[in-house]
Amino acid sequence: MRRSRWQDVTYRNPYLFALLLLIIALAVNILLQPNLVASATLNSNMRVFLPLILVAIGQAVVMIGGGIDISVGAIVSVVNALLATQIGINGDPGTATIMMGAALFVGMGAGAFNGLFVAYLRLQPIITTFASSFLFAGLALFILPNPGGGVPSLFTAFYRETILLGLPLALYVIALTLAAWALVRQTRYGRYLYAVGGKPDAAYETGVPVRAVQFSSYVVSGLMAALGGIAITLLTGSGNAQVGDPLTLSSITAAVIGGTPLSGGAGGIAGPIMGAVILGLVRNIISFANVETWWQTFVNAAIIVLALAMPGIINLVRRRNV
Amino acid sequence: MRRLTISPPLAAVLLAIVLFLLSGLLPNGFGNNPDIALAQAINIVRLSVFLGVIAAGQTLVIISGGEGIDLSAGAVVTLTAILTYTIVNGQDAQVLPALLAALVIGGAIGLVNGVGVAFLKVAPLVMTLGMAGVVSGLILVLTQGNVSGAIAPIMTRLIARPVVLGIPGAILIWAAFGALMWLLLERTRFGKHLFAIGTNRTTARLSGVNVTGMVLGVYALSGMLAGLGGFLVVGNTGVVHIRIGDPFLFPSIAAVAVGGTLLSGGKGSYAGAMAGALVLTLITSLLTTMQQPESIRRMVLGVTLLLMISIYGRQRGFRQ
Amino acid sequence: MAVSLSARNITKRYGAVVALDEANLEIRAGEVLALIGANGSGKSTFTRVMNGVVAPDSGQLLLDGRPMRFASPRAATNAGISTVFQELSLVPQMTVAENIWLTREPLRRGLIDRTTEQRRTADLLALFAGTFRSDLAPDVPVQALLPDEKQIVEILKAVSINPRLLILDEATASLDSRQVQRLFELVAHWKEQGKAIVFVSHRMAEIVQIADRYSVLRNGRTVGEGAMADATASDLVALMVEEAAVASVAQRARPSAEQLATRRVSLQVDDLRTAELNGVSLQVHEGELLGIGGLKGQGQRDLLLALFGSLPYSGRVTLDGQAVHCSHPREAMARGLALVPGERGREGLLAIRSILENLQIPSWRDYGFPLQMERARRTAGAVASRLNLIMAGLDQPVSGLSGGNAQKVVIGKWLLRNPRFLLLDDPTRGIDVGAKAEFYRLLAQLCDEGTTIVFYSSDDDELIGLCDRVLVMHDGKISSELAGATLTATNLIAASLGATRQEATP
Repeated sequence: MRRSRWQDVTYRNPYLFALLLLIIALAVNILLQPNLVASATLNSNMRVFLPLILVAIGQAVVMIGGGIDISVGAIVSVVNALLATQIGINGDPGTATIMMGAALFVGMGAGAFNGLFVAYLRLQPIITTFASSFLFAGLALFILPNPGGGVPSLFTAFYRETILLGLPLALYVIALTLAAWALVRQTRYGRYLYAVGGKPDAAYETGVPVRAVQFSSYVVSGLMAALGGIAITLLTGSGNAQVGDPLTLSSITAAVIGGTPLSGGAGGIAGPIMGAVILGLVRNIISFANVETWWQTFVNAAIIVLALAMPGIINLVRRRNV
Repeated sequence: MRRLTISPPLAAVLLAIVLFLLSGLLPNGFGNNPDIALAQAINIVRLSVFLGVIAAGQTLVIISGGEGIDLSAGAVVTLTAILTYTIVNGQDAQVLPALLAALVIGGAIGLVNGVGVAFLKVAPLVMTLGMAGVVSGLILVLTQGNVSGAIAPIMTRLIARPVVLGIPGAILIWAAFGALMWLLLERTRFGKHLFAIGTNRTTARLSGVNVTGMVLGVYALSGMLAGLGGFLVVGNTGVVHIRIGDPFLFPSIAAVAVGGTLLSGGKGSYAGAMAGALVLTLITSLLTTMQQPESIRRMVLGVTLLLMISIYGRQRGFRQ
Repeated sequence: MAVSLSARNITKRYGAVVALDEANLEIRAGEVLALIGANGSGKSTFTRVMNGVVAPDSGQLLLDGRPMRFASPRAATNAGISTVFQELSLVPQMTVAENIWLTREPLRRGLIDRTTEQRRTADLLALFAGTFRSDLAPDVPVQALLPDEKQIVEILKAVSINPRLLILDEATASLDSRQVQRLFELVAHWKEQGKAIVFVSHRMAEIVQIADRYSVLRNGRTVGEGAMADATASDLVALMVEEAAVASVAQRARPSAEQLATRRVSLQVDDLRTAELNGVSLQVHEGELLGIGGLKGQGQRDLLLALFGSLPYSGRVTLDGQAVHCSHPREAMARGLALVPGERGREGLLAIRSILENLQIPSWRDYGFPLQMERARRTAGAVASRLNLIMAGLDQPVSGLSGGNAQKVVIGKWLLRNPRFLLLDDPTRGIDVGAKAEFYRLLAQLCDEGTTIVFYSSDDDELIGLCDRVLVMHDGKISSELAGATLTATNLIAASLGATRQEATP
C-alpha cells in the first residue's frame, strides 16, 4: 500500500500533531495570560492538569494494547470518595498515607475486574468498561452519597504548593512517569503490549501471552486512574462522587490527540501527556478569552469533537486533493 | 455455546413477570391486593414507555454494527424536552410544531454523529460521547440556567392519563410505535439492509447496499427517536430540568442488551428492547420502592448489563 | 544434530472436503524436499500439520523417530521446526528487529539489549545484503516495507530461531529473481549445516534447481516421490495433473471459435489499471465463458472487483458498446453485473442471517413497501430448488450450511436478478465434488441463455474443461491466451509458471 508524505511524517513522529497544537495553545495562552510561565502560575496550572495527565497515561496504555477503558472516570470518583470519607479533613497523617496506598490497590482491583471480563471472558472492551463504569460510579455514590469529607490541609498544601528548584511538583511527577515508561519500553512486556495491540493473531502465533498482556493493560489503567484520583482529591481537598465523570472522554481525547490510534499498537505516553496539557490550556484560553460563561462548555466540547475528528478530516481533504 | 430454546425477548418478558411477582413477597414491594397490583403493573408499563422509545434509536445503531452505539441520546432527550417545554408553552396548538422541532433537532444532531462515524471514521462511542458534551453545552447556551414554559393540557391527557379502559395514552402510543418499529426492521428494505450492514459490511457492499448512506441514516434516525423520547418524557413529567435525559442513557443501552440484541450488531429486535425496557424500569422502580439509594440502582444496572453481555456477547478465541 | 521428520498417513477433513487423504512425507537432515502439487492439492494443509497450526484427524508425525503431537505452533517451534508463513505473521507497526526477535529478545540485566538486538538483526539482514532497498534496516517499521522485503523479514524471523527443520511455504512467491538466488545460496549453506528444508513452490524452475527430492500431492494424496535427479519437469507436471479427472467432471459442450466470433462483444476492457493491475485489456462475447487463470495473486481478484465497481480503477470498460464507469457495486448491479466473491464467508455471506435474507439482499428493492414477504419467499424458494439447495428451510441461518450449499446461496442471490454478466472469483474452492458438478451444469446453462461469464479459478481442470478461452494472468497483466487446441493442462501450468505469450501459441 502506498502512503502519503503526511502519513509518513506522522508515522515517524506520532507526537508531531500534539506538539504543533501544544505550541499554538501555549502561544495563544501566553498572549492572553503573559505570566503563564512564571513558576507560581505554572504551578497553579500544572496541578490542575495533573489528574487528567495521569488518567490519560493509563488510557493510552490500554489503547496501545488494543483496548479502551470507559471506566477510568468512575475509578477516579471511587478513589476520591474513598479518600474523602476515610481520611477526613482532620484525619491523621498516618491513616491518610495508608489510605492513599490502599486507593492504589482499589484502582488496580477495578482494572483487574475489567481485564478479567475483556481478556479472559473475551467481551468487547467498549461495552464491558461502559457497564463497569456504571458499577463503579454507583460504588462511588454509595461511599459518598453527598459531596463532602476531605483530606487534611497538610496534604493539600503539599500537593498545591510544592515548588522545587522553581519547578512545580506536577512536572516531577510527569518526569517520573516518563522515566518509568522509558523503562517499560526496554522490557519484553513493553514489546508484547505493542504486539498485542498491533496484530493479536500474529502475536499469538509468535508465542506472546496475549490474554495476560491485555489483562495487565487494564490493571495499569486502573492504577493510573487511582493516581489521578489521589491527585484530584489533593487538588480539591474535598470529596464528590462525580468528580471523575468528565475525565473519561478527556482521557480518550488526550490520547487520540497525542497520536495513540484507537486501533492500537502504536503511540506512547508523551503524546497523551501533551494532549492532556492542550485540553487544559484550551479551557484556560476559553476562560481568558472572555467567552461568555454559558458558552464555555459548548466551545470546549466543540473543540474536543473537532480534535477527535481531525485525523478523519485531514484524511478526507487529502483524498479529495489527490 | 449452548443453544437457547427460548427467544431472548420472551425470556426478558418472563423475567419481568417473575420479578414483579417476587416483588409481592418483599415488605416494601408491590402489594398483594390484585387491584393495586394491576394498577402498579400498568404504571410500570407506562414508565417503561419513555425508556422504550429512547432504546429504539439505540436498537437501530447497535444492530448497524461497527461498534455502533449512541451515547448522545441522553443529552438529546434533555435538549428536546426543554425545546418542547419552551415551544409548547402551555398551548395545545403549539404541540405539533414542538414535536416537529424535537424530531428535526434530534435528527440533525444524529446526522452530525453519522457524518463523524461514516465519513470521518471516528469511533461511534467517542463521536457520540463527544456530541453529548456539545449538546450539553448547547443546552447551557440556550437556557442560560433557566427554562420557562409549560406543557399543554392535551399532552398530559394523551401521555400521562388513562385514555381507553384505564390504559394510559403512553402505552397505546408505545404499542403503535412498537408495531411501526417492527415494520421498519422486518418489512422494509431499510431494515433488511440494516441487518446486512450489521452482520458484514463487506458482504453488504458487494451486494449493492449503500453502507455509508445507511450509517448516516441510522444515526440520524437514532437522534430523531431520542427527540421523540424527549417530547414524551416532558409530556409525562410536566416539568423539565437540565439533566432530565441523563438517567435514560445507560438503561437504554442495557435494555437493548437485555432484549437479546447482539451488541456486535446484525441481530436483534425492537420487541427485545421493549421487554428490556420493562425489566429495567421494573428493577429501578423496585429499588426505588424499597428505598434503595441511587448508588445501589446504578450498581444493579451495571451488573445487569455485565451479566447480559457475558451471556450474549462473547467474542471468538484465537484457536478455532 | 541430525534431524528427520516423517509424516505417515496424515488425513485432514474440513466438513465434506478431504484436504489430506493418507498423505506421506519423509525428510532427513541435509536435504531439500520439494512438496509440489496443483492448486488445492493439500500442500498448505500439509505444511500446517507439520508446524502445529492444524491438528490432523488421523496419522502420525515422527520427529527423530519419536511420535510427536504439537499442541500449538509454539510447541513445533520449540521442537526446532520453523515456518516461513505465506500469510505474514508480522506486526505491521513494529520494527524489523522487534518483529524478528519478538518473545526472544536478547536481555541484559532483565532489560532488552537493543545494541545486541540491532547487531543480530543486521547480521541476519546481511544474509540478503544487496537484494533490497537501503530502507530495509533493523529499526524500520514493517508496514513501511515492500511486499518482498516483508517476505525477507518473515524468512529471517523463521531462521533466527536456528531451526533444525525449515518449511518454506511459497516463500519465493513475492521475491524477485536476485532475492530468490540469494535464498537458494543460503538454503545450500543451511543444508551443509545439517538442516532439513521443506520447499513448497509453484515455480518449476526453482524446484528443479534447489530440491534434492520431491513429493507430489494430488487431491490430498501422495502420488509420487523420488530423487529430483531422476525426474524431469514434465514428469512432475504429469504427476500433478490428472487428465482423466478432467474428462469426468468438468465438461461442457462448447461453441467453436468461429461461432463465438460471430457473436457480438458484450464486455470490453481497455488498459484497466489498479494498484495490482498493470493494464489489462480483454474482450468477452455474449454467452461466452471466459476463464482467467494463473498463479494466485496475479491481479485476478482486482480485475473482477474493479469490473464490479468495488475498486477504484483507471481505464475503459464497455458493456454492450456503452462505456461505463461504476464506482459502487450498486451501479454495476444496475447494469446487470453480478459478482461471486473469492472469500465466501468474509465477502459473500451474512453468516448469522437466514438463507432467505442472504438470497434477497440485492433484490429487496423489488419487493415494494411493506415488503411482499410471500413473494420474496416464493422466488427465493424457486431459486433454492433450481440450485438443489439442501436446507432445513429458508429461515435457517447460512452459517449452518456446508461449503457447497453456502456457495449456492451466494450464486443464488445473483440468479434472482438474472444477471447478464457474471463475474466469478474462484467459486468452487473448498466445495465438494457433487456440488461442483451441479455448478458446472449451471454455468453451461447460463451460457446457453446468453449470460456472459468471466470465471477465475485456481483449479486448472475447471478452466480446461469448461472455458471457451482462458487468459492467464501474471504480475497484473495478461501473459497468454489459450483456446481450442492450445488449452491443455501442460500449457496452462507452463503459462502460469511464468511463460510468456508466445510460448503458448502452437
